Amino acid sequence: MTLADGWMIYLLLALTMYVVLDGYDLGIGVLTLLERNDRRRRSMYELVAWMWDGNESWLVLLALAIWSGLPLVAGIALPALYIPLALMLFSLILRGVSIEMLAQYEGWNPSWGTVFGWASLLAAFWQGAAFGGLLAGVAVRGGSFAGHPWSFLHNGYSMLTGLAAVALYTFAAAVWVYARSDGVLQRSVARLGRFAVVALAAGTALSWALLQTAGSTNLDAGASSRLPVWLAGAAILASGLAVAFWSLGHASGRIAVGSALAVYGGGLTLLLGLLYPRVVPPDITVHAAASPHAALVFAIVGAGIFIPIILTYQSFAYWVFRGKLRVPKEVTVQ
Amino acid sequence: MSHDTLLDLSRWQWAITAMFHVTFPALTVGTSVFMAACYWMYMRTDEDVWLRMFRFWRRIFGIGFAIGVVSGIVLTFEFGLNWGPFAHDVGPIIGVIILMEVVTAFFLEAGFLGLLVFGDGRIGKRMMMFANVMVTVGTVLSVTWILVANSWMQTPAGFKRVDGQFQPVDWQHVILNPSFPLRFIHMLVAVLISASWFIGGISAWYFLKQRHLPIARRGVSIALGVLAIVLPVQGFIGDSVAFDVVGKYKAPELLAMEGNWSKKGSTSYNLLVWPDQSAAENDWHVAIPMLGSFIGKDFSGNTPTPGLKLVPSKLRPLMSPTFYGFRTMYLGYLLMFAVAMAGVILRLRGRLFSARWFHKVLLWMTPIGILAIWGGWITAETGRQPWIVNRQLLTADAVSPLHAWQVLASLVCFLAFYLALLGIYSWYVARAVRQGPDYPPEAEPQAPAQPQAPVRPGLVPGS
Repeated sequence: MTLADGWMIYLLLALTMYVVLDGYDLGIGVLTLLERNDRRRRSMYELVAWMWDGNESWLVLLALAIWSGLPLVAGIALPALYIPLALMLFSLILRGVSIEMLAQYEGWNPSWGTVFGWASLLAAFWQGAAFGGLLAGVAVRGGSFAGHPWSFLHNGYSMLTGLAAVALYTFAAAVWVYARSDGVLQRSVARLGRFAVVALAAGTALSWALLQTAGSTNLDAGASSRLPVWLAGAAILASGLAVAFWSLGHASGRIAVGSALAVYGGGLTLLLGLLYPRVVPPDITVHAAASPHAALVFAIVGAGIFIPIILTYQSFAYWVFRGKLRVPKEVTVQ
Repeated sequence: MSHDTLLDLSRWQWAITAMFHVTFPALTVGTSVFMAACYWMYMRTDEDVWLRMFRFWRRIFGIGFAIGVVSGIVLTFEFGLNWGPFAHDVGPIIGVIILMEVVTAFFLEAGFLGLLVFGDGRIGKRMMMFANVMVTVGTVLSVTWILVANSWMQTPAGFKRVDGQFQPVDWQHVILNPSFPLRFIHMLVAVLISASWFIGGISAWYFLKQRHLPIARRGVSIALGVLAIVLPVQGFIGDSVAFDVVGKYKAPELLAMEGNWSKKGSTSYNLLVWPDQSAAENDWHVAIPMLGSFIGKDFSGNTPTPGLKLVPSKLRPLMSPTFYGFRTMYLGYLLMFAVAMAGVILRLRGRLFSARWFHKVLLWMTPIGILAIWGGWITAETGRQPWIVNRQLLTADAVSPLHAWQVLASLVCFLAFYLALLGIYSWYVARAVRQGPDYPPEAEPQAPAQPQAPVRPGLVPGS
């Protein structure tokens, strides 16, 4: 295994951290669109307000892990995914601003609340679309993107992966709020969460099935050497989804969160088995895209020193904001 | 549409997104230092006024911090989106540097922001102080790493080029590149200056409305005190940057920013110029005779400042933005210096808190630091053109192979979003200022010893 391989694993871990943490943040935004009670909306929002910046930072880490360690990917994939990523950025801008503005009011401000909900949903959607656009293949010629602005659509495939991402994040949010709440709020998100599980299962299965026909990708799922890896991933993913569906409403928050982690772990393994050694399907491998050793070593040491420190103080922040959410009973005057 | 159009649109988009972003760290870095000072005073004296100041400025800080974060994320992606070839070529160096910024600075400020803004009732005084300090350290580390990266683009060092890609050979020379130390100090002092004018201006408004006078007095005193010390320092540093950095490594920028064209130049000091870049001359100009020579430290009035025609035409930066960027920063600085010294004099004569005319001046001066920072960055970035990595990589060779309409569309959207956000930001800051430090009146924090979640978790931060 080379330094470049190690970097790809590091990259996928950064991706997982982002999906786990900002996934529920964005998903809570979606839940506030589905939830009808303003006090419950405000409570869920507070879970986001406390931690959103730290959670979203994993996205920036992912972007920089790509740029520093696999600069050819940055140079090719970002221009290729210009439209979905630009739309994602506009959504993230609105979401961040709405979080701060909601904090300027007592209770639930309907205008900023609507912005918060839709911006979260759209950010999730465009992330999924960008990912699908990448997965289904990027046209490359001479080390540059050689496609056109709408290539990322892949006959609508990326719209499917966009919806799957919304389902994934809504699922993440439902599980997290389920574990952090009780009473009416908990029952409410358990119901929404079960819908999300079904949507996620369907979205994942369809994305998998249609990948081969979607674009110029050569991701051959049947490649014998990697078959056991993605099969294992698929099995973990499927069982995670099943346990999640059952646990929402019938089991403790810990089991629900555990099943969600199985879903992420399974999905990650599935992706690794499917992609490796490609980072930009169909042509660009991790070895072709990697930075020289002098850069990778510095990055690995730098990140290696600070990631454990980051995890420590982020865990501390979660500990400070521990405990069940309390939904206020009295009517808040705005 | 041609490559030139794509290039121009991409450059405009970068300029707009970067200028918008820098506005917010330019306020939040210094404000977080001020907040830490207020909380420190509260911990030492137990006086309620310092706690109220901490909470008030924390609220203002919070409004701007989020916008700074999201606009910063835009820039992170924009490197790759609009400048893909650049991202590929400098990834092993600039990518690594900004990765270090993420793991040392972004996470630090983000990780403690929640505690700082929402921690009332959940964390004790010492942890609150610690959270504030960590956020401040995070913001300062951000400034540091960004200046490492940008300074490397201005004075690249410690690298070798392999197939066009910049690869690190010596990280010490990469990070401590020739222009980094001076430019870093220059920017760090600049953000303290801009926050001081912001804090001073808002505090002055309370004087004019005769509200919250104990808070207004402290705000104006501290802001002007900081300015009185750092402004002279900044003058000296700026001078060093001009001669030891720009003059030494970016000579075309120095020529462009003075506004002369002819090789022999002029002994006058240009106040206004209307350049015709392709004809390599000024259609008209307004200048003060002999002042150029005086500034060049020759009081006989005989030393001319040479002109941009010394540089081959393809390598000349655009004179207009370089000149006006520099004049904005420098003349802005002179104005700041004058007002700060007036403040010192009023203070020594015991009239600082009663001179209403001065409070009005302070109110008008609120955004002056931001304007100077915009001017300085415009100078540095347009002055480096046509290079994106000075004398190594041309900007024209660094732009992503997109269709120009894509960039036009995103540019228009960014412009619309950001103008709206400037309005929203101003409105909410004005609202917070009008509501004042004791708003909302009924909310009281839980006793710090209690670690449970408050009964009413709906908190307006700063309440």
